Amino acid sequence: MLKNITLGQYFPGESLIHRLDPRTKLLATIALIAIVFVSQGFAGFLLIAAFVIACAASTGIHLKFLIKGLKPIFFIIIFTFVLNLFFQTSGNVLVRLGPVRVTDQGLRMATFMAARLILLVVCSQLLTLTTSPIALTDGLETLFRPLQAIRFPAHEIAMMMSIALRFIPTLMDEADKIMKAQKARGANFETGSLIQRAKAMIPLLVPLFVGAFRRAEELALAMDARCYRGGAGRTRMKQLKFQGIDLLAALSLAALLAAVILFNHFKVF
Amino acid sequence: MNKPIIEARGVSFTYEGAKAPAVKDVSLSVAQGEFLAILGRNGSGKSTFAKMLNALQLPGEGTLVVNGIEPKTEDDCYEVRKSCGMVFQNPDNQIVTTIVEEDCAFGLENLGTPPQEIRRRVDDALRSVGMSDFAQASPAMLSGGQKQRIAVAGVLAMRPRIIVFDESTAMLDPIGRRDVFSLARKLNLEEDITIVWITHFMEEAALADRLVVMDGGRIALEGAPRDVFAQTEKVLALGLDVPEMMKLADALSHAGVQLPKGLMTVNEMAVELCRQAHRDRPATTRIDAEPSEKTETTEESAKDCVIEVSHLSHVYMPGTPFEARALNDVSLNIEAGQFIGIIGHTGSGKSTLISHLNGLEPSEPGAVRVDGIDLGAKGTDLIAVRRAVGLVFQYPEYQLFEETVRKDVAFGPTNLGLDKDEIDRRVEWALRQVGLDPDEVAEKSPFELSGGQKRRVAIAGVLAMKPATLILDEPAAGLDPAGRRDMLDLIRGIHDAGTTVVMVSHSMDDVGRCCDKLYVLSKGEIAYSGTPAEVFTHDRRLHEIGLDVPECAKLARRLREAGFDMPEGVYRTEDVCAAIARNLNAGGDAAC
Repeated sequence: MLKNITLGQYFPGESLIHRLDPRTKLLATIALIAIVFVSQGFAGFLLIAAFVIACAASTGIHLKFLIKGLKPIFFIIIFTFVLNLFFQTSGNVLVRLGPVRVTDQGLRMATFMAARLILLVVCSQLLTLTTSPIALTDGLETLFRPLQAIRFPAHEIAMMMSIALRFIPTLMDEADKIMKAQKARGANFETGSLIQRAKAMIPLLVPLFVGAFRRAEELALAMDARCYRGGAGRTRMKQLKFQGIDLLAALSLAALLAAVILFNHFKVF
Repeated sequence: MNKPIIEARGVSFTYEGAKAPAVKDVSLSVAQGEFLAILGRNGSGKSTFAKMLNALQLPGEGTLVVNGIEPKTEDDCYEVRKSCGMVFQNPDNQIVTTIVEEDCAFGLENLGTPPQEIRRRVDDALRSVGMSDFAQASPAMLSGGQKQRIAVAGVLAMRPRIIVFDESTAMLDPIGRRDVFSLARKLNLEEDITIVWITHFMEEAALADRLVVMDGGRIALEGAPRDVFAQTEKVLALGLDVPEMMKLADALSHAGVQLPKGLMTVNEMAVELCRQAHRDRPATTRIDAEPSEKTETTEESAKDCVIEVSHLSHVYMPGTPFEARALNDVSLNIEAGQFIGIIGHTGSGKSTLISHLNGLEPSEPGAVRVDGIDLGAKGTDLIAVRRAVGLVFQYPEYQLFEETVRKDVAFGPTNLGLDKDEIDRRVEWALRQVGLDPDEVAEKSPFELSGGQKRRVAIAGVLAMKPATLILDEPAAGLDPAGRRDMLDLIRGIHDAGTTVVMVSHSMDDVGRCCDKLYVLSKGEIAYSGTPAEVFTHDRRLHEIGLDVPECAKLARRLREAGFDMPEGVYRTEDVCAAIARNLNAGGDAAC
């Protein structure tokens, strides 16, 4: 039943952002991250946040999914905030607790850094939520294709990623089956010291690896049988093509960048 | 006859390091548009020969011309692969991408076909195999039969003249099997694609235009299925089986019923027997009513029960969009010494049910009791449960992991905390129980053994825990007919030695032959239960839920409808034979 879990966090949809070329989305995400770093004040952040929220709203993805993605780095955000709060000591003191002083500049800096982190994560979330892993792989392959001139194995890497994506659910399912089979033979995976538990994994890992190699061999044969001979001379059914919406995306990002630079220039905070 | 599209002359092939050749001096020609079936026990050279047809393997000696090409260079090989596609056994291990239509496009992409052309051909191919609705689906969500259809579409998109199916139905359930076979038949008839169909299932081979039986790398028998199967003894000696109706015909001729040679299907047999009956006496027009639709709910006394299941339900991933009800209010009792059969198609809840019987899935208090132990109670001693109930999963050979057979079989007993002498004794005992010689195999690596031996070692690993009840999930899956017979004999032997056995299967023939009580699962519920004879009276309903009754039971129904006096639920070859002989010989003695 493990196989029913979707991989990554792709959220299928038909919105404008979903339909963007994966290359556009990859480049746009990099651009957005850059813009976040360019911004020197909260006004810029607010604008970027408004932009990202508008994008997210247009995809039909609930805001709670974006917020959920912050959970794993919640601790890091708090840590960054506290660190900046206590170690930025210049400025007017707001609160004094023994040797610890909290200044207005410290508070500003702490909030600024935390907000930057949150924005960075939310931007990359938007990419993975709206792009299927396979589209991402295709996008990366095409983007890196020019590098094949310097022998960068773009096709091979993309093929490996795609096969990995294909077999993760299968192998998870198999791991589940083997685990059950060994439990039925009295194996104990749950209790015992760390070393005991590591040892208990052997009856699971050996069959899993043997199985993975068997699958790999059979898959290689099946690929051979269908005339696979590497990336050379290969075409793709789905051609990535830049369209009007991709231009639109580029333009709106350029506008965002311009606004943020203007904010910086006129020191609007 | 059409001109040959495959022409093999004196083809041999020896694997590196192997003593004997895998394929030896095979000469065979296959006509354009033919449906050829290849049979043979494991290791008879079928798969090696199949790989040569696809130029995945080049003949060591002899010549092999496929679609006018004798592959010499690498480019020739690709030409051959273009015209001769191949569908493999394991549906999972031949799908490359995570989206169905992209997988279909894989071959054409490799050939450098222009994108619009790929699009057109992929759509055509998916339509041909009836999977257009699944173009955007992820293969992980599909059933085995559907995955094989995708594999066929991937081959079809390359517009091959020949498709080789290398045991492509071995891992499927009856529905999937029927599905893939009729697809191959359709492509053969409608698109004039030559089919080479390698299989262990006699009923599939019986429907081919021509049969080739391989043994030890050579062609042992060749001809029309009727003529090949008519040589019953030879076919059995080659480790194969003959269709059920031919066995019945054999038995009938011993009982004094004269039949023309080569009756193979239920239909042919029924027509012939009716003809004979009409010759002897006028037909009666009595037609039996469909037996009343009731589920036997005989409440057994609970005192001898080793396993009691009452009102067990199981929901996977409750509260998520993937919520699935695997079991719904299932109740059953298993008594000491019984041989129970659990049948159902894939997804009927069989596997979930047996996982519960071993405490592998958490159950509600009171829902599952083993030897009086409530598996749902807190702090249940699971080791005691696993000592009482042994569970052998499907393809158990895939769970072997130790360096030697001895260590692997000892894994279970060691987990039970037994002392060393006892473990040694049990390992030897268990290996003997599964028909292996401990002196010969105990120190070998389990990975060196043949497929059938591996499976025996895995079963020994569970037997060594000396469970009072042994549960086996599809123990004969993927074995050749001789291996299948041996495996069922082995399990019967274990039962005769005093172990309660629960066998999960989708083969009605197997459970009908072995079990004294059956439970039929459908959509997580028990649809029917009772003796095989009782269950087989529901043949029409069983067919609807994707299960088939044994051939002889089908024939018995046909004959009863035609006015023969056949007892209800009769299904064993010898019983059906006796009943037919009684009808035809008008009370004559039946020596079936």
